[in-house]
Amino acid sequence: MRPVFLPGNLEELWRVLEREPAPRPYCGGTDLLVHLRSGKTDPAALVCLERIPELSGVREEEGGLWIGAATTHARLLDDPLVRARLPLLARALSTLGSPPVRNMGTIGGNVCTASPAGDTLPPLYALDGEVELRSRDSSRRMPLRRFITGPGETALRPDEILACVRVKPDGAYNVHHFEKIGIRRAMACSIASLAALLRVSPSGEVEAVRLAWGSVGPTVVASGEAEQALLGKRLSRDALEEAAARARKAVSPIDDARASAAYRREVSGNLLLRLMEYRPL
Amino acid sequence: MKSSVPEIGRSLRRADGPSKVTGREKYAADHYGEGLLWAGVRRAGIPHGRILSVDTAEAADLPGVVAVLTGGDVPGTNRQGIVHKDQPVLCREKVRHCGDAVALVLAGDRETLAKALSLVRVRMEPLPGVFGIDDALAPGAPLVHEEWSGGNVLLRATIRNGEAEQALEACPVVVEGTFEVPPQAHAFLETENGVAWQEEDGTVVLVVSTQAPFRDKWEVSHALGLPWDRIRVVGPVLGGGFGGKDGATVQCLLALAALHAGGRRVKMWWDREESFLAGYKRHGARLHYRLGAREDGTLHALRCRLFYDTGAYAHLGGEVMALGMEHAGGPYRIPHTLIEGWCVYTNHPVAGAMRGFGVAQVSFAAERMMDLLAEKLGMDPLELRKKNALRQGDRNCAGVTLTASTGILECLERIGTHPLWVDREKWKSQAGPFKKRGVGLAAVWNAMGYGRGLPDSALAKIELTPEGRLRLYSGVSDMGQGNATAFVQIAGHLLSQEDETIELIQPDTARTLPSGSSAAGRTTYTYGNALIPACEELRRRIVGRAALMLLVDTLDDLELLPGRVRHPASGREVPLSVLAATMTEHERVCISQFLMPVVREVPGTGKEFRIGFPHLFFAHAAHLARIEVDELTGTIEVKDWLAATEAGRVLNPQGFEQQVQGAVAQGIGYGTLEEVKLREGRILTPDFAAYILPGSLDVPEIISLVEEVEEPTGPYGMKGVGEVGANGPLPAIANALADGCGISMTRAPLTAEGVLEALRRKRTPGAGETS
Amino acid sequence: MIIGFTLNGKKTTVDTRPDRRVVDVLREDFGLTGVKEGCGTGECGACTVLVDGEPRLGCLMLAVQMEGRDLVTIEGLAPEGGLHPLQEAFLECGAVQCGFCTPGMVLAGSALLKRKVSPGRAEIREAISGHLCRCTGYQKIVDAVETAAARGGKKEKTE
Repeated sequence: MRPVFLPGNLEELWRVLEREPAPRPYCGGTDLLVHLRSGKTDPAALVCLERIPELSGVREEEGGLWIGAATTHARLLDDPLVRARLPLLARALSTLGSPPVRNMGTIGGNVCTASPAGDTLPPLYALDGEVELRSRDSSRRMPLRRFITGPGETALRPDEILACVRVKPDGAYNVHHFEKIGIRRAMACSIASLAALLRVSPSGEVEAVRLAWGSVGPTVVASGEAEQALLGKRLSRDALEEAAARARKAVSPIDDARASAAYRREVSGNLLLRLMEYRPL
Repeated sequence: MKSSVPEIGRSLRRADGPSKVTGREKYAADHYGEGLLWAGVRRAGIPHGRILSVDTAEAADLPGVVAVLTGGDVPGTNRQGIVHKDQPVLCREKVRHCGDAVALVLAGDRETLAKALSLVRVRMEPLPGVFGIDDALAPGAPLVHEEWSGGNVLLRATIRNGEAEQALEACPVVVEGTFEVPPQAHAFLETENGVAWQEEDGTVVLVVSTQAPFRDKWEVSHALGLPWDRIRVVGPVLGGGFGGKDGATVQCLLALAALHAGGRRVKMWWDREESFLAGYKRHGARLHYRLGAREDGTLHALRCRLFYDTGAYAHLGGEVMALGMEHAGGPYRIPHTLIEGWCVYTNHPVAGAMRGFGVAQVSFAAERMMDLLAEKLGMDPLELRKKNALRQGDRNCAGVTLTASTGILECLERIGTHPLWVDREKWKSQAGPFKKRGVGLAAVWNAMGYGRGLPDSALAKIELTPEGRLRLYSGVSDMGQGNATAFVQIAGHLLSQEDETIELIQPDTARTLPSGSSAAGRTTYTYGNALIPACEELRRRIVGRAALMLLVDTLDDLELLPGRVRHPASGREVPLSVLAATMTEHERVCISQFLMPVVREVPGTGKEFRIGFPHLFFAHAAHLARIEVDELTGTIEVKDWLAATEAGRVLNPQGFEQQVQGAVAQGIGYGTLEEVKLREGRILTPDFAAYILPGSLDVPEIISLVEEVEEPTGPYGMKGVGEVGANGPLPAIANALADGCGISMTRAPLTAEGVLEALRRKRTPGAGETS
Repeated sequence: MIIGFTLNGKKTTVDTRPDRRVVDVLREDFGLTGVKEGCGTGECGACTVLVDGEPRLGCLMLAVQMEGRDLVTIEGLAPEGGLHPLQEAFLECGAVQCGFCTPGMVLAGSALLKRKVSPGRAEIREAISGHLCRCTGYQKIVDAVETAAARGGKKEKTE
C-alpha cells in the first residue's frame, strides 16, 4: 500500500512533508498516475495538493497576474482574467489534453512535469513567467527558464513545492499566436509548437516579438536570432523565411515514436510562416 | 421511439440501448464474484527464442498465489487455432513473438498477481528473428515453425484467369505501383477478458468477450483435452470486436486456470498494454500491382503479387489473404488476371481477422491504380470507374460470375450527382493560405459470409414463454453491430409483438444454438434467414392454439396482435399468456436452420484455398473524400465524407447508417493515424498515447447514401454491410492527396510527416535524403 | 482508511486503501460497473465520473480524493427507473452501438448541457474530444447531444 495524504491547507502540508520520508506531491495526477502505472516512478508515498486553497486561483498583483500552482487548466480557461490578459496562455490551454484531463491537470503539474512537450510552457516562457517555490520556512522565486533544467527536470528541492506562477500580462502585444502540431486534433502529445507574441504597428512593422518553441528541444527553445530577423520588419514571406531558417538552427529535436527530428526541425521554421496571417489588411 | 410493433425498413432503436445507456448492461468485463481469483500471463518479452527453463518456485511461494502453471501443466494438445492448430496455450519449446504466453498465474488479487508474474524466472536462448516479409522469404531464413512444411510460407496461392502477362504486353496503357500497409489494432474499448469457473460436475463455464462462443468450445476442448460437452461458453454483448475477438484470446488460458481454482471464479482482463502485446492485429502487407487498359479506359489485365505478414501464428492468415486476392482487382471487369499471394510467418504479433479482412489492404492498391490510370489516360476518375464497374452477370477478377445483387455502378452514379462531387473544383479553389484541397474517390466491395469450404449456417430458436412473451435465443454474438436488434425487428414484425416486450438471450452454448461466428458480415443474413421460418412456424402454432381455444376453424380469420390473438369477426380475444399456459415447451419453441448459398460454378483457379473462396454475395460502396492539406505541417484534415453503399435492402435505416459511419471512422484511422509500429519484433506503440485512434475532432460529418438493390436470397432482401465501409477511406484519402497536392503516396498511414516529405520532394526533385 | 463522500445522491463511506484507483473502488466495492475501463491512462474517457459536476477520469484519481466530494456515475444520472433526456436522445438518435463508451459520453454531454444551453456541433465535438469511440464515428453522439439541447434538456412529450 502506498499512503496518500490529502492536506486541507498549507500548514497541514508542511506537517506531512516533515513527517513522511519524501512523499511525492501531485495534484491532478494526469502525469503522475500514468508514470506510476508504467513503473517509471515508484514513490513511497504521495501527497495531493488539490484541497489547499492557498495554492489555487488567479488574481491581479502589482505588475502581473498570480496563478496558483494547483489551479486546473479548465479553471484557468474559464477565468476572465486569463482570457482577457493572457490570451496566449488561453490559446495553448485549449489545445492541452481534453476536457476531463483539463478538469484534473494543473498548471503547476504541467510545469513540474517539465516535459519538453508541455503545452503551457512555450507561452509561459514567452511571457517571462516566474515561479515561486515554497517550503515551510522559505520562499524563493526564479524565472521559469531557470526552474526547468532539462527534460523532466526542475530545480525543485525535496522539501519544496511549486506554489504559484507569475506572469506579466501580454497586453503590450497585439498578436497572441499559438499553434501546436499533434498527430490528431485533441488528446495529442505535441510534436512541435510555437508561441508567438508580437506587437505589429498599424503600418505593419514588428515593434516587439517573443518566440518560444515546444517539443523541439530538451526544454522550451527561445531564439533571439529568429526574433531579430523580424524586429523592425514587416511580416513578409521573406522576413519570415529568414526567421524560419534561424529557428531551424536553434532547435534541437529528437526522433521518437511520434515524429522524426527532421520533420520537427522543418516545421519549427514553417510554423513561423503562419504569422503572415497577422499582416494588417 | 416508444415501444411498437417493428416494421421492416423502418428504423428501430437498439434493443440493448436502454441497458447500455444507463450503465446496467453487463459486459464480460463487468463480471466479478465472491472469492474471485485473478489470472495473468507471463509473456515472452523477446520475439524469437528457445525456452531453456521456467522456474516458478518463487512465484508460487508468494502468499496469495494459488497456482503457477506452465506448458507442462496443459492437459490436452496445448494447441489452439481456428484453422491451423499451431499456437500453444503456454509455450514449452520456443516463443515466436513478444506476446507469446509462457506461464499462467492465479492469485487472490491483482497486486499479488503482478508481483508473482515478475517472480517467474524464464531463461531463454534468443533466436535470430524474422522481422518482415523479406526476412521471412530470404533463403536460409530462420524458421518460425520448424515443423511446417512450407518453411515460413503459411500459404502460397494463385488466382489466374486468362493470360495476364501476355495481355499486359498488349496494353497501350499500363500503370504500376508497390504499396505498403501496416498492422492495425482493433482497439475495441473493452479489451480481451473473461471469467471462468469449474462446476461440481466438472463442467467449465466461461463468460467471455467473444465473437465465436460455439467455436470457443471446440478450441478449448482441443487445447485442454476437455470433453466438448463439459464446456459452457456464455457470450454477453461485446464492447467491440471488429474481428479481434474471433478465435481464442483468453479462453484456453482461462479454462486452464479454472481447472486449478478449486471451484472459485477466475477473472482475466488484459489491460490495454497487454491487448497491444498479445492481441490479434490486421495483417500488414506489401502489394505489387501492374494494371493495363485499352486506350478508351477499358481494363484489360491485372498482375499482382501480394504479401501478407501473418505474424507468429496462422490464425486466419490464409483466409485473410484469400479474400484479399479475391478482391484484388477492385469491383471491376478485368478479363485477364494473375493474382499471386504469399502469406508468411514472422516473429511479429499475430495477425488475424479485422473488419475488411484482407480487402482493406488491396483496396488501397487497386483504387490508387485506378486513379493513376485515369491520370495517364486523361480520363475523369469517376467515369473510368463507372465504365468498368461490375454488373450482375459479369465475371469478377477472381473469375466468378456475379449471380447475386451487384450495385457498385449505382453507388458510383449516386456520387456523381451529389453537390460534394459536382462543386468540387469550386470548393478546391477556395482553399485558404498554405492550404491545398483535394478530392478523392474509392470504389470498394466486400464479400459476405464464409465462402466455400465451410458451411455458413445458423440455428434460430424462438420461444413463446409461459408468460406469453417472445424470447429470442441468439446464436451469434452482438459486438455492437446491432444484430440482436435486427432479430427483434424480424421477430416482432412477424409475430406482431412490440419490440420492448421481446426478451433477448445472448449466445450461451447451454441455451442458444450454434450459429457460426459474429464475422464476415453474415450474422443478420444467416441467422435472420433461419429466424424467419422459425417465427413463421411459431406464428402458426400460436394462432393454431388460439383457433382451438376460440373454436375457429381457419387460421386466416385470426389476428396476432401485441399480447393477444383476436378473432375480428366476433371480437373475442385470448391473451398470449393464457395461450402459452396451455402449451408444452415443445409447442412453444420453434427452431429452424439456414445455410447460406454458395457459388455453384467454382472457377478452376485458387485451388490452394481450402476454405474461404470464392464468395457469392458482396456489398458495394463508393466513397468520396474531401480533404484539406496544410502545406506548412503536412497535416491532413478530412473535411467532408460521402459514402454511397449498396447492401441489398435495408432493414433498419438507422442501423445501416451506424455501420457506415463507424466503418468510415475506422478507415480514417487506418488511412491517416494508426500504425502498430514494430522494430525487431517489438511494438513501439504499446498504448493509446502512442497508438492514435481518431477522436471526435478527427472524423468529419459523414453523409451516408443508400442504394438499394434487392438481394432475393436475403432476409427481406438484405445483405451484410458491416465491413465494406472500412475499405474506402485509405484509398479515397490517398486519391485526394494526389488530386490536391500532386503527390502519390504508397505507404499507409498517410501521416503529416509523410505528406510534408512528399511535398518537399515534389518541389525539389532529386534533392537529398532527409533523416 | 474511511473515506466519506456522496455517491449518486447518497451520503456514503468506504473503508479502503487510499491509493486504490477510483475506477476500481466504484466497480468492485460498489458494483457500479457502468464506470468502464478502456485504457487505464486517461486517454479513452470510459472511466468518466462526475466529481462535483465536472467530468473526471476514474483511472487517474485515487480513492482518498473522493473525500467530501459529490460523485455521480452513469447509474446515478437519471431519476430512479427513468431516463435523463440525454439518455433518451442517445437512444433515439442511434448513438449507442457496442455501448462501452456510452456512459462516459453521456456524462460528458450532460456536463456540457449544464454549462451551455445551445452548443453547436463543433462545441459538442470539443466536449467529447476526450472520449474515444471505436464504433460510431461520433456523428450520432453529436446528434444526440444536439437533440437533447434543442429540447432544453426536457423529455420529449410523446412517450
